[in-house]
Amino acid sequence: MERPLTVLRVSLHHPTPGSATFAYVPPQLEHDTSPLLVGRGPDAHLRLQLPRLSRQHLSLEPYLEKGGARLAFSLKALSRKGSVWVNGLTLRFLEQVPLRAVNRVAFSGIQMVVRIEGGTSLEAFVCCFHLSPSPLIYRLHAEETDERESVPQEQPPPGSGQ
Amino acid sequence: MSNFEDADTEETVTCLQMTLYHPGHQRSGIFQSIRFFNREKLPTSEVVKFGRNSNTCHYTFQDKQVSRVQFYLQLFKKFDSSVVSFEIKNMSKKTNLIVDNKELGYLNKMDLPDKCMIRFGDYQFLVEKEDGESLEFFEIQFFLSTRPLLQENNWLPQKPIPECGSYSSCSTHNNSPIEMGDNEW
Repeated sequence: MERPLTVLRVSLHHPTPGSATFAYVPPQLEHDTSPLLVGRGPDAHLRLQLPRLSRQHLSLEPYLEKGGARLAFSLKALSRKGSVWVNGLTLRFLEQVPLRAVNRVAFSGIQMVVRIEGGTSLEAFVCCFHLSPSPLIYRLHAEETDERESVPQEQPPPGSGQ
Repeated sequence: MSNFEDADTEETVTCLQMTLYHPGHQRSGIFQSIRFFNREKLPTSEVVKFGRNSNTCHYTFQDKQVSRVQFYLQLFKKFDSSVVSFEIKNMSKKTNLIVDNKELGYLNKMDLPDKCMIRFGDYQFLVEKEDGESLEFFEIQFFLSTRPLLQENNWLPQKPIPECGSYSSCSTHNNSPIEMGDNEW
């Protein structure tokens, strides 16, 4: 019997309306247990079209905690020039953190929320992508991005809450 | 000469030195794909795979008992550290990986100690890291041991290391391979 795959529900937002940033983002992407590369380059499994993004900007790596039965994930920053903000922590090149059940990630103006729904399969996992027209992360301060860009105005949280 | 004097100072490079042992290596050529003594330079973002499959692995072992991808090493940087560290992850469903006295199952990973013993099946790898400054590249260098690296009372990482000595059967103070004559088998 096939085991259910772990699902990463990934919401993506870029402030420029109508941009081609997410032109190559599929609705769904199944991936094996190797690190999933996110970036601008052709080798990236999740390709985002943004000039200031590194060819390999970050990776999501599945692994098993000792004694664990479900996949855990680690996010590693792969950009030498940019940084990646994850759950309040700024990662520089080669720094990494384990992901939680719900994660707020920001890099090069892109906002990403990753929700992990554990399955029991250890062969692969699947990413389901949703493109959000509105910001996903509120009260993101300028120092928590790798670009000097305007801070989103503080707004009431969406209905689901952040 | 002026180019040499004016050039930017080169950064030192982290080097991972791996001494390999397998009891059947001479009969079966399992290490024939490994270029011993050669220092290979790799980018720090590389995931370095070890296993049987030459299409996916950087370093392969000619042994059907080795998994297609047995394990991999990758670098990361700890917060507030100026040097890189290594992480090892077991990619074999069939064989557990033992790092010193810690056992890693499939997809388990751990930080690789700066000096440690990696074991799976009959394979023994003694690994030592030499820190360098560069965050761009690192090197791997392999040595061959014709003697077992792990012997009783010889590798006990919990015991204190005597001031005067090294481990009796494996010298790791220098970069030379451990030389043994064939008659000593």
